[in-house]
Amino acid sequence: MAQTNLEKQINILDYALSSLWRRRMKSLNVLLVFAAVIFLLASFQMVTQALSDKAKQVLVYTPEITVQKMSAGRQEAIPLAYRDKLARIFGIRRVVPRIWGYYFDEVLLANYTVMGMDVEEMPEGSRLDTTLASGRMPTPDEQGRVVIGHSVKKALDLEGRTTFSFFRPDLSLKAFTVSGEFSRDTDILTNDLIVMNLADARDLYAIPAGMVTDLCVYVANPKEIDTIARKISEALPSVRVLTRPQIQKTYQVVFGWRSGFGSICLLSALAAFVILAWDKASGLSPEERREIAILKVLGWETSDILAVRFWESVIVSGLACILGITAAYIHVVYFAASLFRPVLMGWSVLRPDLHLLPRMAAGDILLILAFTVIPYLAATVIPAWRSATVPADSALGG
Amino acid sequence: MFLNPWSLALTLCSLVVLVLGAIAGKTAVRVLRFWEPGSDSNRQIRLENEIWLSSTLVAYGLGFQIITLILFVLAADQFCQVIVGAMCATGALLADPYGMPALLVKLFGVFFYGFWILLHQLDIRSEHYPLVRIKYLALLLLLPMLVLDASLQTLYIAGIKPDIITSCCAVVFGESTGGGTNLMTGYSQQGLLMAFIGSIVGLMAVGWGLLRRWRSWLAGFYAVGWLWFFGLSLVVITTVISSYVYAMPYHKCPFCLLKPEYHYFGFALYGALIPAAFFGASAAIAGLVRGKVGLAGVVDGYQRLAVKISLILLVIFSGLSFYHYLKYLISGGEG
Repeated sequence: MAQTNLEKQINILDYALSSLWRRRMKSLNVLLVFAAVIFLLASFQMVTQALSDKAKQVLVYTPEITVQKMSAGRQEAIPLAYRDKLARIFGIRRVVPRIWGYYFDEVLLANYTVMGMDVEEMPEGSRLDTTLASGRMPTPDEQGRVVIGHSVKKALDLEGRTTFSFFRPDLSLKAFTVSGEFSRDTDILTNDLIVMNLADARDLYAIPAGMVTDLCVYVANPKEIDTIARKISEALPSVRVLTRPQIQKTYQVVFGWRSGFGSICLLSALAAFVILAWDKASGLSPEERREIAILKVLGWETSDILAVRFWESVIVSGLACILGITAAYIHVVYFAASLFRPVLMGWSVLRPDLHLLPRMAAGDILLILAFTVIPYLAATVIPAWRSATVPADSALGG
Repeated sequence: MFLNPWSLALTLCSLVVLVLGAIAGKTAVRVLRFWEPGSDSNRQIRLENEIWLSSTLVAYGLGFQIITLILFVLAADQFCQVIVGAMCATGALLADPYGMPALLVKLFGVFFYGFWILLHQLDIRSEHYPLVRIKYLALLLLLPMLVLDASLQTLYIAGIKPDIITSCCAVVFGESTGGGTNLMTGYSQQGLLMAFIGSIVGLMAVGWGLLRRWRSWLAGFYAVGWLWFFGLSLVVITTVISSYVYAMPYHKCPFCLLKPEYHYFGFALYGALIPAAFFGASAAIAGLVRGKVGLAGVVDGYQRLAVKISLILLVIFSGLSFYHYLKYLISGGEG
């Protein structure tokens, strides 16, 4: 019984293929529009995935806890003296002061990220030189030395010279000498970055002596992060304590939210497509009515015709999925998702050249299928039934 | 947390299933009111056409529900990334009170839709459509289940707040309770394993007996046995088998099995267990309608087929579930 049933399904599949081929223009229309909808949804999904993977990779190297001082609900400079209070908390490996700011270049209309810190104090400080394509990190006693990222070099047009100047808040000029350049491998982090020592950064931003923008707390045991964060916020009132897991979850939520929002926008495209599919499937031409009537006269049952329509839908969705997902992969990998990048990335003007590598697990493909194929199948089932129940006599008699 | 692709996909699928169910339900009401097998009125002919539509819709609904069941577990696995303290689907599902009920309703829903399709398949094998009224009564009873499924799922998604503190599976299913909620305690592993092996042997014996000579009380016993075995298997997979798969004594979780890290092993395991339990139980259910006109032969054929399929799947399931266990006993585990 199973054997004959299988044979019957294969014959029906054969008939469905030939029937699609006979109406190839109509099928091709639906197929292309469907593939476009899947392409949009799948690229969105892939970009989100690749970006949140990237964020996860990057955040592995952030300090476990970041401490910032708050005043009137806004961040302000934090006194270095707070370090001594933190040093008493057991379990903290090291506290590294840091000045982190942005510098807006009014001529080039670009924003640079400026990071001032003493490299020796960082836990992996001595290894930082390995991230450089050339030169070395500035030491605390070298004044005016900076290490820059790729885009900064391009923006400041530093081919062939090593000095440039920035304005202090009082519009006097401060000169810098480039002592090194970050390698392109770390572009996502260092593309718009200028690293200098603490004294230079303080000078550039006119931050009073003994103040920094935030303190990076390195914790020895990751399981103690929350406890230590709580102790810090008890010991130092009026500070904001950010932990790495919190930041990671925030990124996840933000990317999830953005991709959800994008999906909602794309739902309208999906709805339009479903209406198109419904319309295409329900408009039965006289030839099609006659075809079904002949099949019925030949002894086909309603269920067989429904099976033909089902296989047609499955073939169209399958092809559209393969087309759409492949196109989305090419769009994300080779064109760096140029259609959606503005929506998903930050607002910075100097954007790194991203090399996104989406990882498509079986689950993600299922998600895309659930988003697109299920509504399509649902939209075609009722027209399919309508066509399957055409009475044989009325179609042939007319 | 609706603004997430997974939540949106789940909600969309539920809406589609609800719409399909509502259309099928409309037919069901008309069939229950106006069905006259002997009549050749216009209405009767229209109804006979409509039952094709409704059965196709329910068949689609079943397919979609199976997809949403998988999607739901995968979505929970994604949600755990934003819920503090959750590391896999367990934590995400326990993050609010509707997670586990939603999963259970989805799981049992798949069985009920399957039974409905079985009734339908038996029905259309007979020229008299003897089961039409029963079938559409059952369909009307299924509709509240669909609504319950969709509402629990919506409540669950609405209740997920990214800052809820929940527990990871290491705490929930682990032996050291440490103040966390523990789903599975108080079972000794040895006793469970003995019961598991005993049930497999028992089911095989009963199935073999049924194939040699069909007795309806034995079929009923077989069905009850399968329901018991289904529940027991879920417990055994969680407490015994899973940690052999993970090669970690303290990792006991029924959901992590589905992850790519473990080669999607869970899909094979559950993919054998759930259909096996369905076919095992359905043989007896098909027996209930054997007395209707023109169904005796069809039902007999189906029952033998169902028992055979369930026995084959049982062998596959036992092989899969003991594979890692025996590998550990023989070769001393990984590497």
